[in-house]
Amino acid sequence: MKIKFSGVSKVFEPGIVALRDIHLQIDKGEFVYVVGATGSGKSTLLKLITREMIPTRGSVFVNDVNLRKMRAVDIPYYRRDVGLVAQDFRLIPHLTVFENVAFVMEAMAVPPRMVEYRASKVIEQVGLWRRRFMRPPQLSGGEQQRVAIARALANSPSLFVADEPTGNLDFRTAADVMKILLSINAAGVTVVMTTHNQYIVDSCRQRVIELSEGKLVRDEQLGRYTLDDNF
Amino acid sequence: MTTFSYILRDTGRLLIRHWFLGLLTLLTTSVMVWILGLTTLFSLNVRHQLSRLESELVVQPYLKKGAEVEKVAEKIRAMPAVLSLKPLSPEDSLAKLQSRMGSQSRALSLMGTNPLPWNFEVRVRSAREVEPLVRTLMGMEEIDDVVYAGMVVQRVASLSRVTSRAAVVMFVIAILVTSLVVYNTIHISLYSRREEIAIMYLVGATRSYISTPFVLEGTFLALLGSLMAVGGIALAYLPGIRILQENLPFLSLLENPRVIGQFCLLLVGFGATLGWVCSCIVVMRFMSSTIRPD
Ligand SMILES: Nc1ncnc2c1ncn2[C@@H]1O[C@H](COP(=O)(O)OP(=O)(O)OP(=O)(O)O)[C@@H](O)[C@H]1O
Ligand SMILES: [Mg+2]
Repeated sequence: MKIKFSGVSKVFEPGIVALRDIHLQIDKGEFVYVVGATGSGKSTLLKLITREMIPTRGSVFVNDVNLRKMRAVDIPYYRRDVGLVAQDFRLIPHLTVFENVAFVMEAMAVPPRMVEYRASKVIEQVGLWRRRFMRPPQLSGGEQQRVAIARALANSPSLFVADEPTGNLDFRTAADVMKILLSINAAGVTVVMTTHNQYIVDSCRQRVIELSEGKLVRDEQLGRYTLDDNF
Repeated sequence: MTTFSYILRDTGRLLIRHWFLGLLTLLTTSVMVWILGLTTLFSLNVRHQLSRLESELVVQPYLKKGAEVEKVAEKIRAMPAVLSLKPLSPEDSLAKLQSRMGSQSRALSLMGTNPLPWNFEVRVRSAREVEPLVRTLMGMEEIDDVVYAGMVVQRVASLSRVTSRAAVVMFVIAILVTSLVVYNTIHISLYSRREEIAIMYLVGATRSYISTPFVLEGTFLALLGSLMAVGGIALAYLPGIRILQENLPFLSLLENPRVIGQFCLLLVGFGATLGWVCSCIVVMRFMSSTIRPD
């Protein structure tokens, strides 16, 4: 999927400017890190892509479709093609790990055996097979995060949007998640992820977009976590 | 098809999760439909009784001697309250009287000349029109006297008006109370799951997939409630009319099982439709405010 931001600003009610006149293009198959200080607008940028939010000014285009003008009936179909890992996971607390992963496919009328197969596969992929019958409140933060990743993978999306997918993970688990993301990217999936993890950005070099107080201050192919890094 | 079984599973979950609230909704709905059903049946019975009586509504004006029978008959026939008119000559009346008196009829032949005047057998459209018609007839100078048996019918007619009105009032109350209860239950159900609704929508579930379990929850509760009410009506009504008929055999009551069955079906349809409409409204309103993007 191809994403284009054209003059996008997002202003919240009391006058907080979360994003300021963003121009940006992400092509199909790219891998993009979004970095920046806390409160710089990273999550807001991702929520505009998933259409959780609508820009105050400007427009976001996905495959040349203006998300602002997308018809209400088309939104669910668009979102099925977007794997989303939210910063706060957004899991359903009373459903098991398995059901949390399965219900999106169920909503898409995927046959039960296929649901079973796909859900099992992605749960195994993120290393939660033994936890598949537990519910989110019984899981650690890192485990919940991986459930969210598994759910996002389950649909085989063509765009993967992840808000700090490694935020709660230890070094090794984070590396495993990165492996998954790099492999789906290698298969042609566009990946956009925010991160505060300098080590990851510096070791798996990809395109880096940096936000500062809502402004796009850096857009660098094969960039590092910070600009003036002398190590 | 598979989606539908998932939806049914979710509906079951909703019902179990709020089982106490569901039970209250069920009871309220069934009590409402039960009262509505019995009120309506009572009113239908009164009306049935009335129509039976009305089909026998006869007013009998007696003409003065020497009045022109044909002219008066024409005049009365033209009145809107009159269904039909049959002139009875003195001879007809005498024959009728004789047949009614049976063995004592010979006493009549002793009288020599026939003392009976010409009279009419006037059928009236409805009980309400008897009284005014009688007054008009009395006002006509060709008419000597009017004989009618309208009091009972009029009582029944006014009773029928009251029961019909009660049934209508009950209908409105049943709609209001049932809607309110179903609306509230589904709203609470939705509210307790608003987070989940937003999440499902965010990851690509359609609105109809998300809302159907809630609509089904409301429809199911109202449907089950109405079924219970219909069961209760069968328990109360059928033995009730049996007792009435044993004690007041002249009453003609609705007892045709097919008619009563159709009536019960109508009640269940009413309850289920009401539940469905209410749940649809509350779900639509709730959904559009929950999934609106910032
Ligand atoms: N729904 C909202 N209503 C009001 N203000 C908001 C809302 N969401 C975000 N903001 C504000 O917008 C700014 C950017 O928020 P955002 O969540 O995009 O930051 P972020 O870069 O993701 O931060 P972090 O690294 O801590 O996750 C913040 O100042 C925040 O307070
Ligand atoms: Mg954030």
